[in-house]
Amino acid sequence: MNDVDTGMESLLEAFIYETNEMLDQLDEILLESEKEKTISENNINSIFRITHTIKGSAAMLEFDEMSTLAHAVEDVFYIIREDISKLDIVFDELFDLVFQSSDFLRKEITAVQAGNYTPSDASALISSFHNLAAVMKGEEPAAQQVAENAPQQEQPAVVEEQPAPVATGGHEAGDVLQVRVFFQDGCQMENMRSFMLISQLKGCCGTVESIPDHPERDAATSAEIVKNGLVVCCSGFDSEDDVIKVIEQALNIKSYEVISEGELSAEQPQQEVPASTTPATPQPEKVEEKPAVQAEPVAPQPKAKQATVETSKPAASAQPAASAAANANANAAKAGVKQSLISVNQSKLDHLMDLVGEIVTAESMVVRDPDLEGLRLDHFTKSVRELRKLTDELQDVVMSIRMLPLHGTFQKMSRIVRDMAKKLGKQAELVTYGGDTEIDKTINDAIADPLMHMIRNSMDHAIELPEERVAMGKPAMGKVMLSARNVGGEILLDVSDDGCGLDPKKLLAKAREKGLLVKPESEYTDKEAYQLIMLAGFSTNQEVTEYSGRGVGMDVVRKNIEKVGGSIVIHSELGKGTTFSIKIPLTLAIVDGMNLSVGDTVLTLPITSIKQSFKVTDPEQIIRNSNGSEMIMVRGECLPILRLHEMYQIEPKCTNITDGILIQIENSSANACIFADELLGEYQVVVKPFPKFFNKYDLKSQGLSGCSILGDGTVSLILDANALINNL
Amino acid sequence: MAGEVLSMEQDRRTELEDRYLLFYIEQMLHSVELQYVIEIITVQRVTHLPNLPEYVKGIINLRGKVIPVIDIRLKLGMEERPYDDKTCIVVIDINEMHIGLIVDSVSEVVTISEESISATPPGDVAAKYIASISTHNGTTVLNIDCEKLFVNDLETVVANA
Repeated sequence: MNDVDTGMESLLEAFIYETNEMLDQLDEILLESEKEKTISENNINSIFRITHTIKGSAAMLEFDEMSTLAHAVEDVFYIIREDISKLDIVFDELFDLVFQSSDFLRKEITAVQAGNYTPSDASALISSFHNLAAVMKGEEPAAQQVAENAPQQEQPAVVEEQPAPVATGGHEAGDVLQVRVFFQDGCQMENMRSFMLISQLKGCCGTVESIPDHPERDAATSAEIVKNGLVVCCSGFDSEDDVIKVIEQALNIKSYEVISEGELSAEQPQQEVPASTTPATPQPEKVEEKPAVQAEPVAPQPKAKQATVETSKPAASAQPAASAAANANANAAKAGVKQSLISVNQSKLDHLMDLVGEIVTAESMVVRDPDLEGLRLDHFTKSVRELRKLTDELQDVVMSIRMLPLHGTFQKMSRIVRDMAKKLGKQAELVTYGGDTEIDKTINDAIADPLMHMIRNSMDHAIELPEERVAMGKPAMGKVMLSARNVGGEILLDVSDDGCGLDPKKLLAKAREKGLLVKPESEYTDKEAYQLIMLAGFSTNQEVTEYSGRGVGMDVVRKNIEKVGGSIVIHSELGKGTTFSIKIPLTLAIVDGMNLSVGDTVLTLPITSIKQSFKVTDPEQIIRNSNGSEMIMVRGECLPILRLHEMYQIEPKCTNITDGILIQIENSSANACIFADELLGEYQVVVKPFPKFFNKYDLKSQGLSGCSILGDGTVSLILDANALINNL
Repeated sequence: MAGEVLSMEQDRRTELEDRYLLFYIEQMLHSVELQYVIEIITVQRVTHLPNLPEYVKGIINLRGKVIPVIDIRLKLGMEERPYDDKTCIVVIDINEMHIGLIVDSVSEVVTISEESISATPPGDVAAKYIASISTHNGTTVLNIDCEKLFVNDLETVVANA
């Protein structure tokens, strides 16, 4: 199907959006699972659901290839869902294939979106999946027998327990709860299900002890669980109801009962004796193993249990369980949030933002209306205050709508690290911090590319091969770190690696070769040398690889970051690693600015770039250069002075330096002073880009980053400290 | 549905076709096609921008939208003159881009039939900006070709887009 019927368009839009979301989710699950070397049941179900939905909606829109591929993936996960042990047989192949399919689907979706969709051939992928399925199925008879034989023998012996009356009286201050859980007949993998349940219980209880202990370690415990049920002993919970609820909501539970202390110990002999960890173990031994439980039937049992927990449970096994539980909780929370979300076209949000900006402007126009001057308006003032409160709130809400957590962007990066590590034969992991930092959507989009580029660079050039790393005394597993934090109106993003670091000498030699040096080589500090890699046409890697090294790397990164008002600095230590520190504003749309006047023109300078402002009292303080430029000593530093009226050809109110005011501005590397007539005060301004008409004139390079509408309806120009300093 | 929108669009076209907004520059009647015109506003304080051609006066705030303002006298190579209370800004829309034109005064909206339009005599300025010449109530009207007027400014805009 080459083009899509117009009636299907909204359906198609929904499909594209939904599928993209789901593919992101799929990637996330896969990455997480690959790291843990297993897939939790929840995640298998999610993958199953995702592929199933894609299959269905693709088929509805007659994207047959996509649908067939999704179907193939679904098939494979169906097998895994039935028997998770099969996963190990094909673990690596499976993940590679699913990643490839997710990429394939993404590419197709992009093509559909672009409107020139011709189905690509997915048959290679599909047949790989069929092969995989065949491999897994080929093993099936053997595997199934082992799994099924045991339960089949035991099953007749299972006597369905009638839920005994809940005897809470026997509890010690109510802080221990014992529950016997039976799984559905023939649901298989009882030991893993038990493990899942225990993990889930750990989400709401301090300690969870089970009989048999650690069912996940020995598949043979399945038989025991089928026969006697899983006895879980929870303590440190908030309320029994919570625990019961978790059990009730767990999958494949047939029945459960709450048992009192006495009951358990009374049942113990008949219950526990056949319940040996391995069917072959002679029974007497088993009894000996449990004396603690049996000898002290009533009171001290929790303590005894506690002891077993401490001695028998290595910390390592407790941790994954806890994290699995945490994940399950997070997933549950996510699922809860998703339902209350709606997706909105971004242009509508932009429009809303514009309107709010106008309302803010209009409000101050009304309030400061010259007709009202000198009038006593008590009621009016009161209403105005109310209005201002509301508009402020409205503005905050609209701003927050546009804020997105960086999590999604980070997620994509871990995918890149994973893929490149595999391709390049390197070992590396991506560690991210502060993924929940929220940032304006526009900026979020704008930094995705630069981040990707830097991560690729780190993987390609910085992280060494495992052998080399070991030889250098570093862990074989390289580390790429991505961290974000919010520091007063700005986001600090760090991309760092523990790779080979930058060699200033090599950088300088290379820059000399390319004719990029602007001063004698010996005058370059290391810090300056590092920044050289961000010059256009600079790439130190000799070979061009698939991922990087085309010489258009870091300068594009720098440009992209500067485009959203950010800056980037590089720190590096040879042999230890490199850190790229990026500073970007939280939002582009509203800026806290200081308004300055120069003649009739009002200029707005972002507060963040102002260091201080001061009046020059004595013209003697000014140092004049022979070429006419002026400088001033501020706290032992000699700073150039930039007269705005000269730069922008504005007729000023004052040209005498003692009449006006100097404002010290800074960017990441330098300081300067600008000269204006006077300060008008601090305002929040809505940043608007210049009309397209001016694209030709490159106002940005002249230190003007945009404009803004002031309370009186006139337009102010927003200054860009960075460009101003670069202009000097 | 889509067809309806299209026919409405066509209606609008025919409604605006042959209609021109007349205004004075240097006592001469000029006109632009009405389909370009968004609105007419009084002169406001223009914020000057540095290092631009002389005819670009700067930017103004049109209900929250920032638009460039051009003095058409300077653009057509005439002398600048001080603005008075008759001076108007005609806001036009070229390729989705709003531009304000400062004119001496606005006259009226008229229908000029195709028969009364004649071709431009050869000449420098005329060849650049004047699409055609017509007469209205015995006065000569110079029809300005909006797209041609900004061809130099728009060229790069298109290239940049």
